[in-house]
Amino acid sequence: MAVKPSDYPPPWRASDAIAAPSDPADERIDVGVLVVGAGPAGLACAIRLGQLLEQDPATAERLGDVPVAVLEKGKQPGSHLLSGAVVNPRALQRLFRGRKRLDELPFLGPVDAESVLFLTRRGAYRIPTPPTMMNHGNHVASLSQLARWLAEEAEAAGAAILPETAAEKLLVADGRVRGVRTGDRGRGRNGEELGNFEPGSDVVARVTVLAEGTQGHLTGAALERFGLEGDDPQVWALGVKEVWRVAKPLDRVIHTMGWPLRGGAKYREFGGSFVYPMGEDMVTLGMVVGLDYRDAELSVHDLLQELKTHPRIRRILEGGERLEWGAKTIPEGGFVSLAKRLHAPGLLIAGDGAGFVNVPALKGIHYAVETGRLAAEAAWAALQRGTTPSTPGALQGYDDSVRASWVWQDLKRVRNMRQAFGRGFWLGGALAGAMTATRGAFPPGNAHTHRDAEQPLFRTDRARRYPAPDGKLTFDKLSSVYLSGNKTRDDQPNHIRIERRVPVPLAEMWVRMCPAQVYELGEGHGDGSVTVEVTPSNCVQCGAITAKGGRLTPPEGGSGPEYQRT
Amino acid sequence: MKTLVFLEHHDGELQAGSLGVLAKAGRLGGEVAGVVLGKGARAAAAQAGGTVYVSEAPELEAPLPQPRVDALAQLVREQGFDTLLFAASVLSADVAAGLAARLDAGLNWDLVDLVEQDGQLVGKRPALQDSVYVDVGWTSEPRLALIRSGTFDAEEAAGEAQVEELDVSFEDFSTRARMLEQAHEESSGPSIEDAEVIVAGGRGLGAPDKFTLVEELAKALGGAVGATRAVVDAGWYPYQHQIGQTGKTVSPKLYVACGISGAIQHKVGMQSAGTIVAINKDANAPIFEFADLGVVGDLHAIVPKLTELVRERRGS
Repeated sequence: MAVKPSDYPPPWRASDAIAAPSDPADERIDVGVLVVGAGPAGLACAIRLGQLLEQDPATAERLGDVPVAVLEKGKQPGSHLLSGAVVNPRALQRLFRGRKRLDELPFLGPVDAESVLFLTRRGAYRIPTPPTMMNHGNHVASLSQLARWLAEEAEAAGAAILPETAAEKLLVADGRVRGVRTGDRGRGRNGEELGNFEPGSDVVARVTVLAEGTQGHLTGAALERFGLEGDDPQVWALGVKEVWRVAKPLDRVIHTMGWPLRGGAKYREFGGSFVYPMGEDMVTLGMVVGLDYRDAELSVHDLLQELKTHPRIRRILEGGERLEWGAKTIPEGGFVSLAKRLHAPGLLIAGDGAGFVNVPALKGIHYAVETGRLAAEAAWAALQRGTTPSTPGALQGYDDSVRASWVWQDLKRVRNMRQAFGRGFWLGGALAGAMTATRGAFPPGNAHTHRDAEQPLFRTDRARRYPAPDGKLTFDKLSSVYLSGNKTRDDQPNHIRIERRVPVPLAEMWVRMCPAQVYELGEGHGDGSVTVEVTPSNCVQCGAITAKGGRLTPPEGGSGPEYQRT
Repeated sequence: MKTLVFLEHHDGELQAGSLGVLAKAGRLGGEVAGVVLGKGARAAAAQAGGTVYVSEAPELEAPLPQPRVDALAQLVREQGFDTLLFAASVLSADVAAGLAARLDAGLNWDLVDLVEQDGQLVGKRPALQDSVYVDVGWTSEPRLALIRSGTFDAEEAAGEAQVEELDVSFEDFSTRARMLEQAHEESSGPSIEDAEVIVAGGRGLGAPDKFTLVEELAKALGGAVGATRAVVDAGWYPYQHQIGQTGKTVSPKLYVACGISGAIQHKVGMQSAGTIVAINKDANAPIFEFADLGVVGDLHAIVPKLTELVRERRGS
């Protein structure tokens, strides 16, 4: 019987991330609206709230000294953000209507030309750009930089941004969300209090907006606690990318399909690569692979290294230097996996955490901004009416506005495309073409997703083909982690929950899967099982482990990568 | 330029880092003075040269920052110092930060050099994991700077110290904190930051008890023991011996790496060692790219022999 990761669940339950407020009332931190996550969704929400409260001093007054606060687990906003990214500016233009011109947004350049290539080991064949992937009018950006810019705008709009602060528990009392509890700092490896120990605190709010992004820690717990999960399970892809300084400018955005992924349906290797220019002297390139893959030897990190040896790609990087590296998961379930409801009493969920990503278009940042903005409007409407946002239904306006928006329409139209590729590259491509032509009408109904962790594992000998790192074009995982800026304190408690003793194929899958060399094979037990050794301080919090049978929880605030240009 | 250097002492012994910064201040020119505070300050002041302000007021006995901020703020006010330099340590970082807040002054930290450029004082600060140097300056006076530890070597003091007694008036709020307990870590042999020789072990040792090989060689060479993150993580050796990005940065004259692959995370903690000797059975290990002498072979056979040879030569 083939091993499935889901047969070895992690020692973690959603209830571990939910608690009642415990600090005495005078020690709680009181804020008006609490946003968890300083990404595009959370910051758009904070900015919109600032705009609305500026026009409405009476409501602002009622929200107290800190009307809007944003918690961020990274060293600063953007530290944990990574994307391609080609951004559709539509949502940002709406957010800043009348306040910022398009050329004031921190983009690195418009998309002037684009190519979609089908790769074989040595060849590259240009194929027509699928309509969903056309990028005319879109702009290249670094999401990490964009967030730092948005954070400045949010602060200017009156929001308090609290970096290096992990939201560890969702505070729930009487069935209503009251805020979050922040993580302790200064605990040792076994949880003991070190000299610099600082306990977390209860941050209580009238409305809590979860904008945690992919694999949100509290979002996952909230979806389960309030029964908000979509009809189909969420599935993810893992993206690994690098930023290079290059000798000559790249004149177009490039997407590739095919090699080094395999097209056969049995492999379930859905994905591709991207190469984008970042101004005159930098490019960014990355590899994205659906985590429903089955080959225990598949490593997205090493597939990216392999991709760079392709003559067409090597040519772009020739004479250049790798500057930065990072990895992140992407929710890929789309429409069928969206949270059934986007609110609960006192709670709103926006952005990637709720599943707002358009896989065929390779985009989600604009949905994050738009849903963040709509969350702000719904929160403000409830507060302004004087209703208690924690009464059931008080925040229904958010769901209504999202369902009426272009975000919903977009996602509905492409709802079945990702799943079609579970049937192999060629058939999937043909079906996707038909779906585009009929604007999603064909085939009728919804195709279903299956949990990534339920895919049975097998092994091929693909690891043999990964190139040996040469330190110039191709690199080992530890060198990559170094370029993520990760310098996490080693002697803190392990934040990764996995079953430590598992069958060898599952352990091997984790070792290969993790782009940051967190897992290693430990001692074998002679019965086909092995102990998995974990190095949590390497972790760049991509979230792949949660998709593939474990659970990522937030480490001490300020840990993890310090992305600058990803 | 009128510069004041905060001289830190432990039990009347001036710290080498502070003396290094004092020497650097002398080379920058202008008027330079030092300040030593707390019990044993007068004895310590004699180890420096030039003008040294001292106070042994009881409020300064415990190594707490705020009373020291009072003393330094008073010196700046009364003597008109425009530049204050600190060798970075736990205490001096606290003092510098408190003083910056008190004087509303600019503080640059983690500097590895100070130069005069077009009549302006400019600090050099490593950034992006020490891959580039950033020029930093000040927009107002006084200018405060914390210098990375071990940056400048101490020099022989030129002449006797001229000790000036300082009568500090303390703010009420500055004396509120009380030191309850001070603990010192006891260790035998030199600490790894000060050691001239370090023998370090990595996962290539194979088992925790094999660290005795490393310890024996370190003892024979009169050096300290270092460890990689991997073996510290695995619980083979204590964290205070960890060298690398998330451990200590060392620059001994001799670094012997036993069973260490040389991942970049380790390299950044020891790459400035004078001579790097690597023993590893994997000829492709990255450490051989930056070792001065590489030995490809089984450390379990080589290290004991090496220890024996060193002992013979040293006649012990």
